Amino acid sequence: MVKDGAIKLTDFIDGEEQTIEFCDEGDVFGVLALLGKRPYILSAKAKENSLIMAVPVGIFDKILKENSQVSLYFASGFASGQVVVRSDLSQTQKVRTLLGNNSHQNGLLLFPGQASINYSQPVIQCRIGDTISKAVAKMSTDKVGSIIIVDENNCPQGIITDKDLRNRLIAKGLPYDTLVEDIMSHPVITAKKDLEFSQIYLNMVKNRLHHLVFTEDGTCQSKLIGIISDHDILLSQGNSPAVLIKALQDSSDVHEIAKLRNQAEGMLIYFLENELAIDFIAGIITEINDTIIQRAIAIAKARHSVDFRDVCDTPFCFLGLGSEGRGEQLLRTDLDNAIVYEDVPAELEEKTRRFMHLMARDIMDILFACGFHSCPAEMMANNPEWCQPLSQWKSYFSHWISKPDQQSLLMASIFFDFRAVAGKVALAEALTEHVYKEIGKERIFLNFFAKNALLNPPPLGFFRNFMVEKSGEHAEKFDIKLRAMMPLADAARVLVLNHQVVGVNNTFKRFEKLAELEPNQAELFKDAGKAYEIFMRIRALEGLSASSSGRFIQPDSLGKLQRQLLKNAFFPIDEIQKILRVRFQLDYFGK
Amino acid sequence: MDWKSIFGLRPLPKPGYIKAYEQTLLKKTSKAKPIRELDFLVLDTETTGLDVRKDYVLSYGAVQVSNNRMRISESKEFYMRPKKRSKEAVKVHGLIQVRPYISREQLIRSFLEDASNKILVGHHLGFDLAMLEKLGKTLGLKKIKQPSLDTFELAVRLEVGKYHNPNSIAAQDYSLDKLCERYQISLDDRHTAAGDALLTAQLLLKLLKLAERKGIKTFGDLMA
Repeated sequence: MVKDGAIKLTDFIDGEEQTIEFCDEGDVFGVLALLGKRPYILSAKAKENSLIMAVPVGIFDKILKENSQVSLYFASGFASGQVVVRSDLSQTQKVRTLLGNNSHQNGLLLFPGQASINYSQPVIQCRIGDTISKAVAKMSTDKVGSIIIVDENNCPQGIITDKDLRNRLIAKGLPYDTLVEDIMSHPVITAKKDLEFSQIYLNMVKNRLHHLVFTEDGTCQSKLIGIISDHDILLSQGNSPAVLIKALQDSSDVHEIAKLRNQAEGMLIYFLENELAIDFIAGIITEINDTIIQRAIAIAKARHSVDFRDVCDTPFCFLGLGSEGRGEQLLRTDLDNAIVYEDVPAELEEKTRRFMHLMARDIMDILFACGFHSCPAEMMANNPEWCQPLSQWKSYFSHWISKPDQQSLLMASIFFDFRAVAGKVALAEALTEHVYKEIGKERIFLNFFAKNALLNPPPLGFFRNFMVEKSGEHAEKFDIKLRAMMPLADAARVLVLNHQVVGVNNTFKRFEKLAELEPNQAELFKDAGKAYEIFMRIRALEGLSASSSGRFIQPDSLGKLQRQLLKNAFFPIDEIQKILRVRFQLDYFGK
Repeated sequence: MDWKSIFGLRPLPKPGYIKAYEQTLLKKTSKAKPIRELDFLVLDTETTGLDVRKDYVLSYGAVQVSNNRMRISESKEFYMRPKKRSKEAVKVHGLIQVRPYISREQLIRSFLEDASNKILVGHHLGFDLAMLEKLGKTLGLKKIKQPSLDTFELAVRLEVGKYHNPNSIAAQDYSLDKLCERYQISLDDRHTAAGDALLTAQLLLKLLKLAERKGIKTFGDLMA
């Protein structure tokens, strides 16, 4: 074990001595031989005066056997000289959870027994063809607010709730012998019962479901086995994301919204500290941010509609860009967004433009009031340049794709991650279609784009230490965004564009998708996705504890384990960049 | 009857281990021996105070260094039973830890065994040796007179040079804490005899590396 100094592990490859790995303070080497009880493969040489701790085999074996944390540490490839280029990051994450601090375990548990779900069963149900009066009688005797309608095979076909009875039966003056299928909501959203709680929950929050029905294989073509309602969850959970989102939806007061957003921050800390899956956390936070934007739009639109009666119904779409567009914004960092609206007849152009600008200005003011930061480069909807009709947006994108200079590529890396947050989604879809059409015409653009993705400096120096900033305010700090996250996000974007995949914006979801599309590289892509999640988590925690953007991290402030975790997570970056280099022939590509 | 011995006017016959130790002193280390082949015993004592006449040793820690390795498994940590332990102090501090208490004789015997044929090392070593000599006096130990190296003096020599003006050296700049800080040794377990001995051993290794670079390569160079 290296107490201080630096050791290089070398091997003879083709008769030449080559350095396989560098070990620095706190690294362990030579373990593989011990674990495997075989001779050492690599030679270790001190690069500088080093202090090494030698642990006798007997003592090591005893500790390894008796301490599960130690054995996991070694099992996960933390020790150096294991000659694995990519260590399995899922294992790494497991170790971290295990070795992580337990000080917050006493906090209130948001998801009691979250591994299993307690759905109600048997489910109150009736058959297709039954009358409403029969269904209502059942609901009444069992004291429930909803009933599932099944077919002869016991597969769920629809659901009737108290609200349906009120709105679709009584209000319409229909007779009580109306058949259930005439007023039921259908199709029902179904899920498999062995899904993880967090996934089910996210599903409900996303689709704004009040009820989720479980069937044997997760589709509505199989047998009904259970049901869970948001009410069940709320009752057991108290302060939950669903409650927050509901409260946000009902609020028209900016101060109230700001307060709720602050509350969400507390929830975020709780989620992060309890090691909840990052896609779940990002999903919830994105949903909360989207809801705030939707509220802001509603408020702003109502305020200006009075003066713009003839143009206020022009369809528009609010786009999230950058990390917001990718649905990865955990902290309230800089806003990047834009508005695209439908082209209008020439005589209405000026008025529509004024309306959209006024609305954008108010939306942004509300978001600033909620604690979001403004984008220093003003890539926001309140910048007239980024609040434009569809035709103008199309020409922007065409320009960036056909003239890929430095500026265009920078724009592309921000704007290509757009995501419809509110408004008419079809406008965003039209834009996406346009982008792919243009790229199809100008394939060379992707080569430029790929080259651009390689511009960010590598995260580790020659001696496996962190490349820290040399000067300025953040001297000696590690820029996790620039050196670790951007290379992965950029690479994922290029590769996804190359595959013409639509609608996957998260960097980690993009890697998942890529793993699906390219089975022979699946391992690498999965690792890259997990690495990205690790960076997001570390950055968010840093940001929350330092009340900053979390972008700059002092390597020394991280524990040994966190540092090692970060270093392990860097491995895929290099590999991914190699893929870009080969695939887009960047080594032969003009500088 | 040997009245002189009974009244302590003449020492008792020397025990065998002291005789054995004195024998080893006759063997001289060759001046040409390279530093990396030397054997050291790095030691530290914790005492009740700094007055050699009035104060006494509370604990002793020692680490062997040979071939540039600290042999942790051979390290020693001993506590002397305090002469009087106030019951009040025990109540207040809760100091009822079980410690490897040993007798004066056991300590001196262990020390002499370890010290044989080695160079003694310590930070302000002179004081520690004086305390040990006092401890061993009635057992028949006369003088600890083997080669010794003070890390304080070695550090000053390496940083300022051999012919420095002693008055220009600020002693506090060469305290164990300051030196550890300067040579990037983390201060674990500071202020226990064994902990300080281990820190001093690490400091010794770093200083010896520095010495080699400055042309101090042999035992002779080191003792000059």
